[in-house]
Amino acid sequence: MHFRAFPPQNSGKVEKEMKYMIETDGLCKQYKRQYSVKNVSLKVRPGCVYGFLGPNGAGKSTTMKMLLGLVKPTQGSIRIFGKEILEKNRIEILKNTGSLIEAPSYYGHLNGRENLKIVQTLKRVPEKEIDEVLDIVRLEGQQNKKVKEYSLGMKQRLGLAAALLGRPKLLLLDEPTNGLDPAGIQEMRELICDLPKHYGMTVMVSSHLLSEIDQMASDVGIIHKGKLIYQGDLQKLHEKAKGSIHIHVLDPAAAVRALKEKGELYEERDGDLVFAEQGEARTAGLVAFLAGRGAQVTRVTEQQKSLEDIFLKLTGKQVSL
Amino acid sequence: MVREWKVEWMKTRYRGIGWIVLAFFGLIVLWSFWALHDIPRSQAEDGFRMLFMQIPLMDTILMPTMIAMLASRLCDAEVKGSTLKLLCTLEKKGRLFDLKLLTGACYLTLFTAGQVGLILAESAFHSFVRPLEPVQLLYFVLQIYTVSLGILLLQVILSFHFENQILPLAAGILGSFVGLFSWYFSDGMLKKCVLWGYYSELCFIIMDWDPETRIVTYYDAPFDWLAFGILLAVLAAGYGAGRWLFLKKEV
Repeated sequence: MHFRAFPPQNSGKVEKEMKYMIETDGLCKQYKRQYSVKNVSLKVRPGCVYGFLGPNGAGKSTTMKMLLGLVKPTQGSIRIFGKEILEKNRIEILKNTGSLIEAPSYYGHLNGRENLKIVQTLKRVPEKEIDEVLDIVRLEGQQNKKVKEYSLGMKQRLGLAAALLGRPKLLLLDEPTNGLDPAGIQEMRELICDLPKHYGMTVMVSSHLLSEIDQMASDVGIIHKGKLIYQGDLQKLHEKAKGSIHIHVLDPAAAVRALKEKGELYEERDGDLVFAEQGEARTAGLVAFLAGRGAQVTRVTEQQKSLEDIFLKLTGKQVSL
Repeated sequence: MVREWKVEWMKTRYRGIGWIVLAFFGLIVLWSFWALHDIPRSQAEDGFRMLFMQIPLMDTILMPTMIAMLASRLCDAEVKGSTLKLLCTLEKKGRLFDLKLLTGACYLTLFTAGQVGLILAESAFHSFVRPLEPVQLLYFVLQIYTVSLGILLLQVILSFHFENQILPLAAGILGSFVGLFSWYFSDGMLKKCVLWGYYSELCFIIMDWDPETRIVTYYDAPFDWLAFGILLAVLAAGYGAGRWLFLKKEV
């Protein structure tokens, strides 16, 4: 997928003026007595790729559908482009958005171009944009083929092309790599990563694959059992994934006494003294200190915490990789 | 609105809806010509009355099935291709429901206009003696069009509701049977209870068949404005309920 024919957006003025492209406050969706989404307060910054991560059934699609007004929230409010979404202004606000929710939407009896023509007519954008988006998703050669004959990956790309029509300021993509082959997944990831840079778009992309979000997103929201359990800079999440230093000593009592005197923060785990990783010099100093106080250090190990560990700790659930 | 409606017609391409409507119309043409081809001269003179009786009877049998197919063709593309979640971000959900009905209503308008044309063509072909009473032509249009519109509304609701289009189609076929039986219901109230029964309930011609002479005589009957009023009320309530159900449906 490439960007040759799709000119950049004319202005990022609107985005610069507002703090968040998407902002929800206490968003809830209840089906009978079960909460599918509970008190979700999203904050999506302009120009970022916001990865919405969570295991299957966590409430990602329901949240995204609520953002688009496809599902009515039980409680809470939604602001897109700084405006509160209400039934009367929903379509007007959504004119500047593109979406691909769950499986791609298409008319199987029409060809790819005719499908895009429908979206182009409804979005009231110039017809030449059809060629531009077909070029981006590399479907120019298949545009006259009936969509029912497309592979799932091609349908997904057509769905993305439809979402890109009208050069939206905000793109909501729900599991966009579903059904794509490895090359297609890579292409899709590259495209998503480039959208903010090339067109000033803000992208909210959901996935149950941590590695995928890790490769695409700058910001992340982790949802589990309908609750947003983490939201923020992905870099900060990476920092949380920093490792720990495990020191084994022969005289733990002496070590504990010394550490308490020094006011050092530590944890005792499986007979080891565990410290947060603070750089090599600090670790060397700590070992020298304990050795000097007669704790008899026998083993020093560094344990790295991966993003998966963090995810696992946050959700208590096995993550897909 | 015009733009959205244009899109509705774009979606109907290659769906063969026109051919379906044409095929059913062809059946009615053949049936009516066959019904009139060997009637005695005395009856042909009263041909308009005969057609105002025969065509609604044919419609009772054929229209529910045709309308079920029409509604299914209009709506199943949205259901099959999961397009509602895209369309509902581009246009008002209620408008989509209205435009489906409007598109279907256009086909019904053409179909009804075709039947009016057929009656006039038959009169020219068979040289009906008794002149056409324009008010009866108006009753005929009200009868056929309004009942068909009610059936279309029901079928659109069903086609949007069920992913498997067999069920709405089965409802259409069932409607044909119920409608046909309704011609034999002696109780007017019973006819008023089933939508498909209104083809017979609104019929303004009475038929008398003498088994001795095997002669059929047709008489005028007053147009049942009460039944028509009830039908309009049902139509309005059905439209409100159908639209509400469609708006309530989460995609």
